[in-house]
Amino acid sequence: MTNSAPLVALVDITKRFGGVVACDRVNLSLHPGEIHGVLGQNGAGKSTLMKILIGLVLPESGEIHIRGVAHRIHDPQVAAALGIAMVHQHFSLVEPLRVWENVVLGEVSGIDAARARTDVREIGERYGLEVDPDARVSDLTAGQRQRVEIIKCLRRGPSILVFDEPTSVLTPAESLELFAVLRRVVQEEQRAVALVSHKLDEILHATDRVTIMRSGRVVASIPTSEATAPSLARAMVGRDVVLRSQSAAAFGLVEMIADELALEAPTVGAAAAAPAVLKIVDACARGAGRRTLLDGLSLEVHPGEIVGIAGVEGNGQAALGDLLSSLLELESGTVEVNGEAVPTGKAGAMADAGVGVIPEDRHASGCVLEMTVAENLVLDAPHALARHGLLDRRAVRDRAARLIDEFDIQASSPEAPMSSLSGGNQQRVVLARELSRQPKVLVAAQPTRGLDVGAIEYMGQRLRAAADAGVGVLLVSSELEEILALSDRVVVLYRGRIIGEMSRHDVDLERLGLLMGGEAA
Amino acid sequence: MTATITEAEATEVAGPSKLRDAVIVAAIYLASIVGALILSALLVGVTGGSWRKVFSALIDGSVRNDGAWGQTLSGMAPLLIVATGAIVSTRAGLVNIGQEGQLLVGAVFAAYLGNHMSGPGPLVIGCALVFGAFGGALWAGIAAALRFGRGVPEVLSTLLLVFVAFPLLDYALRYKSLLLDNDPTVKQQLNTGTQLPSDRRLPRIDFFGNEFHFGVIIALVVVLLGALVLARTVWGFRLRMFGLNPRTAQRMGVSAVVMGTAALVVSGALAGLAGGVLLAGTPDYRITVGYSRSFGWNGLLVALLARNRPLLVIPMAFVFAALRTGSNYLGATGVARDIVDVVQALLVLALLIPPAVLFIRDRRRAVAATSARV
Amino acid sequence: MSFFTAVWDIFSTGSLYGSTTRLAVFLALAAAGEWVAERAGTLNISVEGMCLVAAFAGVAGSDVTHSAVGGVAFGMFAGVVVASIQGNMSHRLTANQFVVGLAINVLALGLTSFLRQQVDLDVRAAGTFPGASHLPGVLREVFDQRWTAYLAIPAIAGCWWLVYRTRWGLEVRAVGENPQSADVSGIHVNRRRREAILVCGAMCGLAGSYIAVDTSGFSPNMTSGRGYIAIAAVIFGGWTLRGALAGCVLFGGAEALTLVVQRLELDVNRQFLQAFPYLVTLVVMAVFAKRTRQPQALAQPFVRGLT
Repeated sequence: MTNSAPLVALVDITKRFGGVVACDRVNLSLHPGEIHGVLGQNGAGKSTLMKILIGLVLPESGEIHIRGVAHRIHDPQVAAALGIAMVHQHFSLVEPLRVWENVVLGEVSGIDAARARTDVREIGERYGLEVDPDARVSDLTAGQRQRVEIIKCLRRGPSILVFDEPTSVLTPAESLELFAVLRRVVQEEQRAVALVSHKLDEILHATDRVTIMRSGRVVASIPTSEATAPSLARAMVGRDVVLRSQSAAAFGLVEMIADELALEAPTVGAAAAAPAVLKIVDACARGAGRRTLLDGLSLEVHPGEIVGIAGVEGNGQAALGDLLSSLLELESGTVEVNGEAVPTGKAGAMADAGVGVIPEDRHASGCVLEMTVAENLVLDAPHALARHGLLDRRAVRDRAARLIDEFDIQASSPEAPMSSLSGGNQQRVVLARELSRQPKVLVAAQPTRGLDVGAIEYMGQRLRAAADAGVGVLLVSSELEEILALSDRVVVLYRGRIIGEMSRHDVDLERLGLLMGGEAA
Repeated sequence: MTATITEAEATEVAGPSKLRDAVIVAAIYLASIVGALILSALLVGVTGGSWRKVFSALIDGSVRNDGAWGQTLSGMAPLLIVATGAIVSTRAGLVNIGQEGQLLVGAVFAAYLGNHMSGPGPLVIGCALVFGAFGGALWAGIAAALRFGRGVPEVLSTLLLVFVAFPLLDYALRYKSLLLDNDPTVKQQLNTGTQLPSDRRLPRIDFFGNEFHFGVIIALVVVLLGALVLARTVWGFRLRMFGLNPRTAQRMGVSAVVMGTAALVVSGALAGLAGGVLLAGTPDYRITVGYSRSFGWNGLLVALLARNRPLLVIPMAFVFAALRTGSNYLGATGVARDIVDVVQALLVLALLIPPAVLFIRDRRRAVAATSARV
Repeated sequence: MSFFTAVWDIFSTGSLYGSTTRLAVFLALAAAGEWVAERAGTLNISVEGMCLVAAFAGVAGSDVTHSAVGGVAFGMFAGVVVASIQGNMSHRLTANQFVVGLAINVLALGLTSFLRQQVDLDVRAAGTFPGASHLPGVLREVFDQRWTAYLAIPAIAGCWWLVYRTRWGLEVRAVGENPQSADVSGIHVNRRRREAILVCGAMCGLAGSYIAVDTSGFSPNMTSGRGYIAIAAVIFGGWTLRGALAGCVLFGGAEALTLVVQRLELDVNRQFLQAFPYLVTLVVMAVFAKRTRQPQALAQPFVRGLT
């Protein structure tokens, strides 16, 4: 199949962000009738490359050939006109609108509701993407939303489809369905598909050819049939994989980690003996529109252990993070920290009780982008650095300097605005502040999302060190690998409640997958 | 992510030619102001007036005539106080634009206490001003309760309350037991409040022939205190955090209800205080129908012009006060004094343009920098 | 006189219904325009200024062209001009929409008051709608309006059609709910918002010129905050057009009530009556505002790449 002329050829693409090279003379060809995997760790440059292809980012040098002709794609509209479409990692849907309305959004002709509805049904039947065209998107699950996204894409009849980490919001079963859809899309209409992922099993399972990127460069491009998990892992990381290393979190090495884990001695007993430092009992909460967020969630975290919350996104992870950030008030149920009940939804109550949080969206509730780095480092306790209500500037500066040093935060100065920092350094600021108040409980929600591999490794080390120092760590992540690599105990969150638990030494991947889909108890 | 990159590169690009940039920025600001003035002059010309005479009358009235400086300074006082309050609520991310009503209610409260309380004069003035601030706080407090209790946008409730404040004053002016003039020696004066007794007025200060009232000192203290509180105190820090990112603030122990209410109440209290100062400092010393006479709106515009920087409020308030006092001398030119309102609003609109132009230019540069080599 | 006979007197006064209609038509025109702007994500407080300028332009237009039609045309044009200032300042130059709106309102008040003193204008009132004067009783009160009132029916229906039945409207709704998603889908977010404000300006132009050719001339600040009440009606209506119109009838009725009470010389405090429409609006919003779901991106500026 790869002998046919390429539909897309990216030639010598180079792109820098400041001093960082995101893509360094990258070459990539997509052929019709082929699913092409683009594999790499977070920060390897694969997302930037795809953004260049669909016109969201302009390259500094290099050429893009579509069907043999060079094009300058400076706008997503241009890409769309050339038949390139992307299914976005974070959805491009408008929640209060109906499915068919979302599907026609962004087209230019007049509105034909009847035809749009038929199209949704037809495309749904042909590819196994059934969804009610008149449903409101806000009522759909993450998996259904992705279907809408794909239908929206396919309705425009693109010849080149880009999927950016499409399984991050899906259960294992839904992921398999998605790959079946991709196969049909490719074979029946001779389209080209690029599947961007950092998960080895996905690439091995679903693609025909794989291009592996590392630090902005292509290190290999081979037929998938010639690849094995260890060879891909080696190419991705650039060295033989040391499975005991914390950085295993960054890979899609589920099976290998599981093998590794089976060899480890159980360590849970010791931690469980101490009284729980965080105890949530029967937590129930509703959000806007009376939608259930938490539905009888009960959870205990003991000092010195890392409890991993596994589960598909959208099952209450955000609500749990909000609860422990005092951003959500419970309808019923209790939260105890160190044996004392803490009122929920009361400003600052959780923080005062000793709960540190590295939030899922640090821009929304972890830092203030418009304030300086120093100010962000003292957000929690300005009064501790004040005399008679006046902020002691020197004390603020000293504390900031100390934390910047201790956590190796790269900032031009403590007075630099938070918004000028890279994502990894912003995350370090949050981490530094939260750890500096010596929390009893540390909640880390998707702590490595959007970070490069060095930052991921650092974050893992810090969480482990915190647990070793006696902090009860709650790790919420949609990356199963991350959870398996770091946690002492894994619990599964499904529809706002904990539906299963297993300790690190007897993780059963099959059962875990079923639990995440809500299929077993 | 994209935002971070854009900003970082924008600053990088802006580096080399700082002097030229500063000149350009100054030129854009100047062009905007001149543009607004030219537009105003055209308006005067088209409707048959002479802009030279208007300009000359404004200068005469505001600074050139004997004692004009004193009048302009006196006129600055309420503007300064209102503007400081407006900055407090804006810093909290709230849009209080009902200062006109809050000021009016403050004046009503101050007038009531100033005439009905017994005691030594200075004490009564002090209490009247405090009571005026309380009135303004109460009025803004209604908006705060509606916002945080019932989810009514404060933009709208503060505005609507302006239209409730005016009838409230009219009501109070109907009864001698409230505000209506109760001087038995004067014939019945409809819709006019009792004059404050001479020992219950703000003292006047003579400075080289320019007389202004003590409210100017109060106002300057308010401005400086406001600047200090916002920049240096824990409360100011938490207020800013709340305004910029309420979710983060909530986690850090800043309650939206508490901080938001506080910010609205403080801004209302300052508007109310401005009402009291206006009453106790402006000759005639009595409240009349429609007493606030746009001091609230103007104070708000001053805060907007100052781009919410407390110390910048002082020059901006001076410009507005000069226009106000100058407008008293427009009668001879045959041009309606409403032209001053037009000039003020045009200035506000014009001064919105430069920062926007610069923002867009920086973004263009950043985009150009990323695509330069394609 | 007992309370009940007073209430009976009020509600049996025909002019209550006539005045309610007249006031509600004005509010409904402005509110329908504001509704479009808010669905696109702009809480457009310059409605007040748009209406006031349009009222003045309506008077000027009927003076210049000696016809009410000219007044309406001038009024609509003036509304659109003000809207283009608001739209370009807030959604092209990214200035704060409330600051722009407030400045426009102050400018509108100052400018119209100034111009009124500088020039003399004669208003040409619009004729009444033919046939309505033969209707019986209350029906006559309600329907015997100037023909300009009847423009409200196609205009408001047009707003509904635009928002719910056209691609433009779909994009407007998307832009008001989730501008980031709309942008990713290839929609020009700020262009749609500016266009929605222009629609609002045209509607406010109709509203302003409607009161202009309904009265004996222009008086300073003749809208006296009714533009803000129109905004309140949109909020009261939970961002549905139907609800907003119901709010307009309610708030128009409240003001008409005060007119009737004054005319009947009932023993009700005059100042209370003055404040009554605004008090009703505040109380009604206090009761209803929390129950409704607003467009998610209402009053939030959109700049690509910033969230």
